[in-house]
Amino acid sequence: MRQLFSLFLALLSAASLSSAASDYHEQLVLRPLPLSTLLASFNFRSNITLSSFEAHNFDLFPRSLAQILQHAGTRELHLRFSLGRWDAQSWGARPWDGAREGGTGVELWAWLEAETDEEADQKWRTLTNALSGLFCASLNFIDGTRTTRPVMSFQPEGDHPNATMENMHLLYGVLPHEVVCTENLTPFLKLLPCKGKAGVASLLDGHKLFDASWQSMAIDIRPVCPSGGECVLEIEQTIDMVLDIERSKRPRDNPIPRPVPDHELKCDSSKPYHSHGTCFPTDYSAGQDWSLSQIFGKSIKETCPLTDPSIPPVCLQVPESRSVYASQGSTEKKNPDRMSRCFEIEPETGFEMILPRIETEDPAKSAAVELVKPETPLLYAERSFTGHGQERGGVQTILRNPSLDTEVEFIYMESLPWFMRIYLHTIEARIEGHFGEQEPLIKEVYYRPAVDRARGTQLEVRMRVPPASTVFLTYDFEKSILRYTEYPPDANRGFDVAAAVITILNPEKNGTRFAVYNMRTTSLLCSLPTPDFSMPYNVIIFTSTAIALAFGGMFNILVRRFVAADEGPEMGSTIKEKLGRRIKKLIEKLVKGKTAEKTAAVETKG
Amino acid sequence: MPSISFGALLGNNSNLRARSYVNRLPLFTRAVLVAIVVFWMVGVQSVWDLRAWGALVPDLVGISSLYRLNTYPFIHLNFFHAVMNILALVPLLERFESEHGTLTSLALFFGPFVTIPSFMYLFVEKVILRANTAVMGASIWVFLLLGIEAIRTYKLNPYLVVGTHNIPTWTSPLAILLCVAALVPSSSFLGHLCGLAVGYFCGLGYLKYLAPPEKILRWIEGKLNLLGRLPHYVSVDQKTYGRFGVLPSSGTGALRLRRDPRMLKVPPYLSLLCILVGVVWLFLLPLNEYSRRTYISENALLPGQVHTYFSGSDQNVFRAYKHEVNGLADKSNIEVNDKLESIVKGLGLKTARQNFTYQSAGRVYSGENLYAILQAPRGDATEAIVLVGAWKNVKGELNRNGIPLILTLARYFKRWSLWSKDIIFLVTPDSIAGPQAWVDAYHDAHDSSRVNSLPLKSGLLQGAIAIDYSQETRFESVHIVYDGINGQLPNLDLINSVVSIAGGQMGIGVAIQEMWHHNDQYPDRLRTMLRGMLKQGLGRASGPHSAFIPYHVDAVTLQPFGDGWQDEMAMGRVVEGTFRSLNNLLEHLHQSFFFYLLMQRERFVSIGTYLPSAMLVAANFTIMAIALWVKSGHAEGEGDSKPNTPAAERDLFLPLGVITFVQSIAVIPLHLFNHAPSSALTPTFLLFAALNTALPHLISHYLATYHSPSTQQYHLIKAFSLLLLGMFLSSLATLNFSLALLIGLLASPLTFMRAWPGSPVLRYACTILLNAISPTAVIAAGAVYWGLDLGTVLEEAAFGWDVCGMYTPVVVWCVWWPAWVAGSVVVLGRPKAKESSSQGKGKKAEGKKDL
Repeated sequence: MRQLFSLFLALLSAASLSSAASDYHEQLVLRPLPLSTLLASFNFRSNITLSSFEAHNFDLFPRSLAQILQHAGTRELHLRFSLGRWDAQSWGARPWDGAREGGTGVELWAWLEAETDEEADQKWRTLTNALSGLFCASLNFIDGTRTTRPVMSFQPEGDHPNATMENMHLLYGVLPHEVVCTENLTPFLKLLPCKGKAGVASLLDGHKLFDASWQSMAIDIRPVCPSGGECVLEIEQTIDMVLDIERSKRPRDNPIPRPVPDHELKCDSSKPYHSHGTCFPTDYSAGQDWSLSQIFGKSIKETCPLTDPSIPPVCLQVPESRSVYASQGSTEKKNPDRMSRCFEIEPETGFEMILPRIETEDPAKSAAVELVKPETPLLYAERSFTGHGQERGGVQTILRNPSLDTEVEFIYMESLPWFMRIYLHTIEARIEGHFGEQEPLIKEVYYRPAVDRARGTQLEVRMRVPPASTVFLTYDFEKSILRYTEYPPDANRGFDVAAAVITILNPEKNGTRFAVYNMRTTSLLCSLPTPDFSMPYNVIIFTSTAIALAFGGMFNILVRRFVAADEGPEMGSTIKEKLGRRIKKLIEKLVKGKTAEKTAAVETKG
Repeated sequence: MPSISFGALLGNNSNLRARSYVNRLPLFTRAVLVAIVVFWMVGVQSVWDLRAWGALVPDLVGISSLYRLNTYPFIHLNFFHAVMNILALVPLLERFESEHGTLTSLALFFGPFVTIPSFMYLFVEKVILRANTAVMGASIWVFLLLGIEAIRTYKLNPYLVVGTHNIPTWTSPLAILLCVAALVPSSSFLGHLCGLAVGYFCGLGYLKYLAPPEKILRWIEGKLNLLGRLPHYVSVDQKTYGRFGVLPSSGTGALRLRRDPRMLKVPPYLSLLCILVGVVWLFLLPLNEYSRRTYISENALLPGQVHTYFSGSDQNVFRAYKHEVNGLADKSNIEVNDKLESIVKGLGLKTARQNFTYQSAGRVYSGENLYAILQAPRGDATEAIVLVGAWKNVKGELNRNGIPLILTLARYFKRWSLWSKDIIFLVTPDSIAGPQAWVDAYHDAHDSSRVNSLPLKSGLLQGAIAIDYSQETRFESVHIVYDGINGQLPNLDLINSVVSIAGGQMGIGVAIQEMWHHNDQYPDRLRTMLRGMLKQGLGRASGPHSAFIPYHVDAVTLQPFGDGWQDEMAMGRVVEGTFRSLNNLLEHLHQSFFFYLLMQRERFVSIGTYLPSAMLVAANFTIMAIALWVKSGHAEGEGDSKPNTPAAERDLFLPLGVITFVQSIAVIPLHLFNHAPSSALTPTFLLFAALNTALPHLISHYLATYHSPSTQQYHLIKAFSLLLLGMFLSSLATLNFSLALLIGLLASPLTFMRAWPGSPVLRYACTILLNAISPTAVIAAGAVYWGLDLGTVLEEAAFGWDVCGMYTPVVVWCVWWPAWVAGSVVVLGRPKAKESSSQGKGKKAEGKKDL
């Protein structure tokens, strides 16, 4: 999978090299995954020479975005909108090696050109506010507490001249609570030259996209300087989604999964009790049939006229043996690896594609025909909370290296909200079932502690996982108590904690790419101690406060009386007098006691 | 008169004080007071409209009606207005007059203090606002005087520090002004403000020249001999020390009452009253007036608002799964899990297993949990809900329909794309240990030597439903089991949702607390409530859901019962509806009650209503303990009838030693019953019961032989023991109400136990009574009453302690048992009556000498 995608990348970049500036192309890659799911990767790319960019001649580059970039001094920008989770166990490695995805919610990181940190912060604020308006997302909520400056995890993807590199500031912000939905898709499509009206973008429909099991929208803007050519500013828009084929095939006007009629139920007739009213189901083993219009609700009506015709707009990654019917006006081109094929579409024609059901008896065989076996990812990561109660807790990340011979080295980055105060001394990495001395797993830790209400915790750990082993990375934290007004309206839901970013480093240190694989864990929900916000509670505290303040003062004035010391009545209250009186009393007591004793003694004598 | 209401409210002593206060009021204040009252009385008749005559109406003020400027403070709208103003005015005016003298007050309050504010008011109201609002009442003076006082306070004490803010004290009347304007209807903000402004001016000293010169006042006073002629007259010269006069002598009133020996006789009756009221309170709860109908608090739940589609061909699938489960009926745990895992995996869910081994009372409880996670489509593993099915239910029956139902539901839920939370399907080999191991491991609170960690996890658990469906035939109603460990309960909203979905939407009856037929009358309600309380009090796990509740995961078990026409699909639809409701939750269940007693499926009492019952029972011990402490401070014998009995020194060492000893040996039974092997439990218990009967005699004998304690020391032993018991039980009542009440009632005779030095018959009667309510006797009697084997009861208690973290044994052995032993020792005590008292006196004298 990785090779395939890099192949496409190479193809694309080669194409972008050959054709001059201000060109545009788009591509849809479809790839069936196990458990009757389908990965659809949309990629749109256009570029513009830096000189015309400076001259405000934007051509196909979206003008609204370009102006924001210029205004905020942004040299490189990455924006992610994601929803759901990638099921690495069944779906394998991530598309684009994870380079085009973010954690749940919205993620933004950018390199800004600024002289000082303050200027960078100022520009960052400008950028987030402008993007917030452009994408209808709450990006303006990326404030100081949600912004970090990663040290190890990110490297610029573009080619920057060394002069500007020195003044570039990387800022990273994440909004895990942001729910990505259609209002974010519409502005995304508007940035495209064909606005989602023609070409593969016409397949993008909010209903289908947000019904996907996993989806990620990405915008990457970076300067690219081909050797010998003029530097260009490249914008790449990517949408990846994993669709459940069965769910997508449901008609839109009747989406309720009612039980199928008895006769349509697929049964395992080999069971001894199999009869008319008893059926052991065998749903998920059979190969699925699907077509483009069934999955996306419509087919491609027309290609985008602005696109570069040399890049095939639709590619399908299925074994060569799988039969595929494509509509007229398209030509099928099989790749030499026998695992994928692309379709070239003639201008101004539509495109439809049908994959018929595989009629085989053996389910294992049908899977081999149906789909390319997913590639194993370099690392599996799973993060969860440990502990219970509202005082403290822990975070545990399970990192598994499936490879039998290669070690994985990566950077694990957490940007935590300030109200999770981590205990750095508790950070520990241990290999499961492995005790005793070993080379330390954690190689380097970069930690920037949180400041209450001002900035969050930033933790970057460079570590390794030996081959075929599972590493538990754990640390403990304390939950702080928020102020009354700092709770959101749904305080009892808990607080979202952003996904951890895992960047697997390139083992060849001098390689062209900094990271070979990126991934995000799932986000977490942290429940903090929450006061009872119910109405009776509020009434009680407010009325008590009012009474204490208003009537306390009044009562005080009515009752208390201040008299200067010399005005007051003579009480004989000097210390001397008091002491004298005490002593007198004591002496009296003693004398009395003695006489009493004496009398007692006399009595006994008598 | 205010004094009357004060007196009635505050009792005898305050009455005295109030009367003396009223008696000492200076002349002018009295005159104003009388004037206000007289004007109010005049205003009561309806012939002549006093208010129209005397109020300050801006439009009506002319040369001929200038009297209004002076009359309006005396005239009030109604009785309430007059009373409130009198209450506020009298202390302020009294202070003013006693500082400045009657004549000055007269001159000021009939001159500038009434006219200046009214002119200000007229100016603002008529000229600026062009309105015509009539004002009346003495409150203008109240604010004027408050202004003066505020300025004076400000000079002495400029700031009131609230947090980090310094609030100037002179603003306090402004705050009061705002409060009055906001809270009191038809109060004149402007009028009050004018009064306040004049008050501020006066306080700052700008109005000093308006006061009549002292020389003249002195002359008038001297000429007319006012001081001699008028009672309560405050002279110009008179200083104002001791404004409040001398307090009423301390020998009267409450202090005298405190010394009254009869007071010491009250506490036992008060204790008895507390117990009786506590019990009666409990029996009142099922009445309509004291209990409430349940309601859904959390709007997001929307129970019963969705169509359920679990039916049709899914029943064919259910039948197939049931065949599979039946085929596994007598297979081992591992074989069962292998088969179930293959089925669940075939549905496309992620599965994992977990081993656990618990040891309790010499027995090993081990098994393997199987669970599967249905990942929410589009979800992010932040939240999860759990569907639990134990292979065997609490009674040990095979969950014959429950497990196939869970499998079918898993397949059905997989088809839906609307889940916002992950759904975890958990199949445990038994009903208590398996879920406990799983939940502990899910929250990483497990002992990893006994319980394996979970290989697969999801997000925060938001709720759990357990299905216990072993019945073969069609059912009639659903039984909701909701008791958690240690009497913790799930959020009432969860139960209400199930009731509303099953009862309201599906038309399936719902029962609680094994009340299969409930007619919603008093006896049935009471029975339901008492059953619930007993279960809560015992604190044991009552089903697979119980383990979830201590982790703040709301959970219930649903058990179909009865002979009706509802089939498994109906049960499935109930679960589907409940899951759809839980799926709607935006926040953790928090809206409704966590502390409640249910007396019918739709009727409950909340903690505020029922808690006083247990608190009263617990308070009876504390009251008696305090009374005994006070009593032990008096020398006994001769002084009972005299008001001033001599004080006695308390000899604390022996009582504290006895209590410490008894409390510390409580660890022995706790350890013994939680660690003995099951075969030895019954013999151990019998032996312990025998020893337990003898123990108070031994301690008592030892004390009598070596220490010969006095009556006072016995009092103190009892006081400390009861104090501890009261303290423990009142705190326990907030955690587990039923247990606190149960123990409180069983221990209530201890309040009334005392040494009977002169009467062996009574002593033995008391001893027998105490032995009848000893912890051991109660446990044995309970086992016999419910037809249980004593060994089983003890084994269960040990299991609860070892596996579930149930704290009932701690309460029984470390709270109740020591109190019982101490009480028995007191009953058996033979204090040295007369001799000991004289001895005590001798000791006391010695002690004094040492001093």
